[in-house]
Amino acid sequence: MSGPAGAGGPVPPGVPPTGGRRGLAAALTPDPAGGPVGVPPTGGRRGLAAALTIDRRWLFLAMGLAIVVPLVVPLGLPTEASAPVKANFYAVEDLPEGATVLVSVDLDPASTPEVEPYFHASVRHLKKRGAKLVFVTLWYQAPPLVDRWIAKTVEQATFPGDRPYKRNVDYVWLGFREGKQAVMANMGQDLWATFAGHAADGTALADIPMMAGVHRLSDFALLVLVSAGFPGAKEYVQQVQARYGLRIVAACTAVSTTDLSPYYASGQLLGLAGGMGATAEYEVLVSRLVGLDPKRGNGAMALDALNIGHVVVILAIVLGNVAYFVGRRKR
Amino acid sequence: MTLPAIDLVGYWLGIFLTFAILSYLYADNPFYKLAEHLFVGVSIGYVVTQQYYNVLLPNLFDRLTWRPTWYWLTFVLTALLFVKAISRRLAWLGRYPLAFVVAFFAGIQINAVGESDLADQIAASMRTLDVPRTNVNTAPPEDLAGLPGFSPPVAQRVAQARAGGQTFASLDDVERVPGLSQAQRDDLRAARGSLAGLDAQASVRDGDRYWFGILSRLLLLIGLCASLVYFYFSIEHKGVIGKVSKVGVWVLMIGFGASFGYTVQGRLALAVGRAMDMLDLDKPPELARAVNGPVVSAVCIVAIIVGIAVWEKVWHKRKP
Repeated sequence: MSGPAGAGGPVPPGVPPTGGRRGLAAALTPDPAGGPVGVPPTGGRRGLAAALTIDRRWLFLAMGLAIVVPLVVPLGLPTEASAPVKANFYAVEDLPEGATVLVSVDLDPASTPEVEPYFHASVRHLKKRGAKLVFVTLWYQAPPLVDRWIAKTVEQATFPGDRPYKRNVDYVWLGFREGKQAVMANMGQDLWATFAGHAADGTALADIPMMAGVHRLSDFALLVLVSAGFPGAKEYVQQVQARYGLRIVAACTAVSTTDLSPYYASGQLLGLAGGMGATAEYEVLVSRLVGLDPKRGNGAMALDALNIGHVVVILAIVLGNVAYFVGRRKR
Repeated sequence: MTLPAIDLVGYWLGIFLTFAILSYLYADNPFYKLAEHLFVGVSIGYVVTQQYYNVLLPNLFDRLTWRPTWYWLTFVLTALLFVKAISRRLAWLGRYPLAFVVAFFAGIQINAVGESDLADQIAASMRTLDVPRTNVNTAPPEDLAGLPGFSPPVAQRVAQARAGGQTFASLDDVERVPGLSQAQRDDLRAARGSLAGLDAQASVRDGDRYWFGILSRLLLLIGLCASLVYFYFSIEHKGVIGKVSKVGVWVLMIGFGASFGYTVQGRLALAVGRAMDMLDLDKPPELARAVNGPVVSAVCIVAIIVGIAVWEKVWHKRKP
């Protein structure tokens, strides 16, 4: 990224002015020379027209307040689970007691605010159903996160009646495999060979009793995909869902939701939690089920901030458009 | 709770680097540059070590040393043909491994995408336009579970009530099914509605229609056909075809709008996640006390402001 200060070249759009307007006070004052690219300055800059030339840092400040204030002073806005989230919830509820479930955690640190609440909620939900868990990842950034999350939710009792799961007894962490769709296709045929017959800690899969009847993806009662992009839920559906008729539920980042919604509509995904809002809805459903306070979950706490943030974005869009069209008419 | 010093420093560093990145809103400055360069450097270092330990070590070095599998040398030699970056004269050799890679992924994708994205999606799109309401007196539990306010347990209760001889004279009777919890009754009550709610989708007799569902499927059909026409370039887009393709553009724009909305939500979620981390809202109380995020945040903000002020003075002095 080229810096604007002393770069010598043209200043890219959206970069704060530096030369001649330095100083801390100048940072938060409207930019007399700036304004959105392509919008001609208006005469007096009064009223709505001034909205077009407002320093964009005021918007950042408004957004910052819209996010921080609801976190400090929770508003307790109501949460109603949407149909895809409910479907996700009941797909897990339908599991037979003690079923073996594959959890594929394909994400990086940047996507954790959106899907981490889902991971913890779904693990609690699966533990409530007494499920045996097998964790894998196809993202090289994920193993440190998965290690931490396993220690936090899988190996700890986190709700009344819960118990800590034991490694290689109640759950297996197979680790990361490079190869993207090829790994998915291989797991569909032979899970053991894909991971060279060993769990991430080096234990032979043959020595783990819960892996006895689990040799390929079709041996799992359900696939839970915590997916932040490529490769993720979309590729699982493409590579193995139709071929083996697998039961899959997924959580994904908001950006991926429009890609995955058609799979939910067609029944290829049994349930879908897309984005922070939906993962929070799922978290609330699970919290109610397992006897935790639904308002204390990370996702639920974040919802107020997300909603108020959206209000700020909508207001900015409406104000900007009104100002633009009013200004255009005047010109 | 005793937190290892390295973890504590990690949390504090995370807070400092967040504000260092945000300091770019003021101007390009050394704090921002530090965070930017650290991010790039750490990312590349992490990728290299991960690729070494997860790909090169088990798939190459181990196979050639501890478990000699000499035919793997052919793969090494094939990979070495990617010499485009080293020698322009030998660049043509890179086409052979590239051909393997392209052919491999084409092979793995064509069948998979054809089945999941084409066949299954076409099947899901080609549905009858007639949408009857679900008759709660006769529908199987799987169909009932899809109704607003219903869930598989509620559907099972309704089916059990029917098996016990109960007949529903109106949808109000569903809320009075024995064995339902108060929350389930509340859900059923909240789902009532004659446009797209329970009253619109369910009935107590056969022959009623779910009109909003019919409209939805009609819109799906029109939108699908219009979008396909937009991408059909063998006919000039004028007259009727032009008008239909314009409808297709609108459908596509609505789709892109939904994607953009979700993108905004994703970016907001990132900001919310960082704010929660810095305010210690995502940590258990003992960890939050140890990290003390709000205080560290305040210290970082002050330090960065003072640092930038000092840097400005020095920078201005050096400026010719």
